[in-house]
Amino acid sequence: MIDKSGAALWPGLAVVTIATGYLIALLAAERETVIIALLILGIVAVAAAARLKLLDAVHGSFARHEDTLGRFAIVAALAVAAFFHDDHFVMLLLTTVLLYSVATLGLNIQIGYAGVLNFAGASFFGIGAYTSAVLNAQTALPHLLVIAIGGLLAALIGSVLLLPVLRTRGHYAAVVTIAFALLFRTFLEVNDVFGGPQGMQVKGMTMLGWSFNDNIEIGGVTLSLYMNYFVVSLLLLIGVFVLTQRLERSWIGLNLDALRLDETAAACFGLDIARWKTAAFVVGNFLIGVAGALFAMVGGFVAPNNYTFEDSLILVSILLLGGIGNPWGVVVAAVIVVVLPEKLQAIAEYRFLLYALMVIAMLLFRPSGLLPRSVRRYFPGQPS
Amino acid sequence: MTALLETGKLCKRFGGVVALDELDMAVARNEILGLIGPNGSGKTTFFNVVTGIYSTDAGRVRFDGADITNAAARAVYRAGIFRTFQRSRLSLPLSIFDNIMIGDHKRLDQRLWFNLMRRRAFKREFEQACGRARALIEVFEPALAERMFEPVAGLPMIDRRRIEICRALISEPKLLLLDEPSAGMTHDETAELMNDIFLVRERNKNLTIVIVEHEMGVIERITDRCVVLNFGRKIAEGRYRDVAADAQVQEAYLGVA
Amino acid sequence: MIVELLAQYVMNGLMLGMMYALVAVGFTLFFGVLDVIQFSHGDVLTVGAFTALAAFVGLHTLGLGSRWLDLVVIVLAATLAMALLGMVIARYFIMPLRAAPALNTLLITLMLGTVLREAVRLFYPEGANPKPFPALLPRDAVALGAFNLRLDNVLMLAAGAGVIVGLQFVLSRTRLGLAIRAVAQDEETARTMGINFTAIVLITFAIGSAMAAFAGVMNGLYYNEINFGIGLYLGVVGFSAAIIGGLGSVYGAILGGFLFAGLQTVGAVLLPFASAYKDVFAFAVVIAIMAWRPTGLIREKISERV
Repeated sequence: MIDKSGAALWPGLAVVTIATGYLIALLAAERETVIIALLILGIVAVAAAARLKLLDAVHGSFARHEDTLGRFAIVAALAVAAFFHDDHFVMLLLTTVLLYSVATLGLNIQIGYAGVLNFAGASFFGIGAYTSAVLNAQTALPHLLVIAIGGLLAALIGSVLLLPVLRTRGHYAAVVTIAFALLFRTFLEVNDVFGGPQGMQVKGMTMLGWSFNDNIEIGGVTLSLYMNYFVVSLLLLIGVFVLTQRLERSWIGLNLDALRLDETAAACFGLDIARWKTAAFVVGNFLIGVAGALFAMVGGFVAPNNYTFEDSLILVSILLLGGIGNPWGVVVAAVIVVVLPEKLQAIAEYRFLLYALMVIAMLLFRPSGLLPRSVRRYFPGQPS
Repeated sequence: MTALLETGKLCKRFGGVVALDELDMAVARNEILGLIGPNGSGKTTFFNVVTGIYSTDAGRVRFDGADITNAAARAVYRAGIFRTFQRSRLSLPLSIFDNIMIGDHKRLDQRLWFNLMRRRAFKREFEQACGRARALIEVFEPALAERMFEPVAGLPMIDRRRIEICRALISEPKLLLLDEPSAGMTHDETAELMNDIFLVRERNKNLTIVIVEHEMGVIERITDRCVVLNFGRKIAEGRYRDVAADAQVQEAYLGVA
Repeated sequence: MIVELLAQYVMNGLMLGMMYALVAVGFTLFFGVLDVIQFSHGDVLTVGAFTALAAFVGLHTLGLGSRWLDLVVIVLAATLAMALLGMVIARYFIMPLRAAPALNTLLITLMLGTVLREAVRLFYPEGANPKPFPALLPRDAVALGAFNLRLDNVLMLAAGAGVIVGLQFVLSRTRLGLAIRAVAQDEETARTMGINFTAIVLITFAIGSAMAAFAGVMNGLYYNEINFGIGLYLGVVGFSAAIIGGLGSVYGAILGGFLFAGLQTVGAVLLPFASAYKDVFAFAVVIAIMAWRPTGLIREKISERV
């Protein structure tokens, strides 16, 4: 494959650098007026760049040099973490962004690729979280194993829904998962085994005798305890991100698109619809459960109120804002959705309302999201 | 010589409406068979029953020596039958290449490990697939081969039809079921498309085609033989010229009682 | 004692069934004319119930109001306001997305539901807490053997039945009903017959949403309490009821509503675990029903042209 676009690397590098600087400024800002000014600046800058067609160059740059830019983005993430190395609040926030990204990538495989609707994302996240809470308290299982079990349990319990989800299409599957989301939350509230409405404490993570809940001292520099979790979450996100991209850029990604877009035709072209839907639903829930299990250890606490139907919709909002099917969009949208209410406490209470309105506006005026998914490129640099 | 596709007393009802009424059909190897009849005479239903989209109420379907009555759609595909649809059913957001490769499902390695972890091997298979798709589409329209990785959404109807035919041919089926390929196209475009199909058939003499079509010019020009359906029953069979002269057929089309 | 308890259950089941049926009919009507599931339908019910409450509070701050005037005013306020809201939703949020993938319509109604629910929670005074709803119907009871038949329950059931019969009359005996059925059958043909498609869709949404508001008021009067989450619950249950009956059929929706209430009541009687689990049970039934019989869909599939 010869690349005829000849897109340069620098626009991509420039955008990642600017975005990193912007994120640092936003996270460091304390006063509300400064934060609001920064947000307005960000919106204006993006709008202006779009207006001046500068984003096309960025798009081309990412299409051509995705691997390089991906590595650069990891460096950028580490740079942000280094800047806030001793700030508990920001490090926790960043870790949250990473794990919400992982969960939404799982949701993306389901909704974005296979077209299997899942409005119980937060419930599967919660299954992972409660797994951590119970297993860390009751057993001495290695915590990495606990996280994997959290994912497996989410996938397993999700399988209970498979029959209705497989036998129904579109709207119907939506109702099945909504019913499950409501059931899950009510169940957590009314039973006593899992702490009822008060929830449970979760023991922090330890790995090879290394306790994640202690600050790190290296040569006189103190790193926030959340740096531990940040690194683990970043590794998880990188792994899931790469696998998601490979999945999309393979025959399996093609199958999933085909069955999402026209199930009847796909069956005539030899696709085993049930098999691929099952696979997408199970794998997606596994990823969501893994993210939930790890997140419970980060937060140290689980309660029914964190896994409501509205929280599921937050995950869906991230997916839609970012651009369904585009992993880069998921990460960008996760930053926006997670960071905004934490930095602007005034809107925290209104976040569900605000995001619902944002998604509605998106659906009406820009349904493909902030970073629309592009036509499949099986390998970077392949002409498109 | 045995028929490639054979149905015996095939029945399909929708509520009180009889769409196929004890239909006996035989499609010989390597022939081009025209399936004609007034609207609602059961032509598309026949395709849908054969390809496993609908289940039969009674009767049998045999293909290439095997019984495929009520087989699942994907089993029918694997057996070597490929169909096109009346309305264009391309996946618009996907590229030309993607749309064609959807049709080659049985030749592509579908294993998870291969697709995710063996990217070098995958790249080799991908490049072979590119070659196949390019070679096929160049028969129809070389310009499209240059734009293989662009979405089909912006393409005109004739190009979409070409891509649909490529999607059908890429897996080298034994039997191709064409459901009104001329729908939505001009006379000239239809003629062009038919010529292209002929070209492909020149290369692959083993391809048998059943075509449903309202353009009688097309039927006259390309079919070896015709079957006329009315109310789900076969009312005539033979060369187009003979069939068209048949009194019963004229009655069916003109609606004379 | 047993008979009394049983009668109590039956009465409760009937009340629930009536509410479910009223909601389910809305889903069915909307699906008929636009082929969409209006996921914010349940939350329209919530807003309707709160509108009624606000109207009641308003009347009393003005110093007006007697029991029956209150009743008339709150029912009118809720149904009219929700009819309007239903039309706005159809006109500005659902119809613009008709050409888009079905997923987008689903998401927009889902998000609209969240907006309505959150708006009630955040902007109604102390909306996050359950609010007492006035008992406006006479609570006299007639003793039937050991069972006390309460007048308010009877009145509510009668009113609900009246609404359903009225709807059935409109659908089967009036020109409007004919137009609605024509649009539900086939949009294109209806258009060529000179039917104003948009107008019919809007009227249908007005009717369906007003019925949801009515169910919301009923819910308030029956439990004497409302909260911002009732609609989400009733929406999911009402949708399942519509599916049990075969989406698109009004009779089916009504039947489905009562059937679901019946299942729930029987479940409450037979299943040993505490009543705390009654919602868990209800949602489990929803999931089981979808697994067992997603019928409406199959019918839809057959008619698809391939």
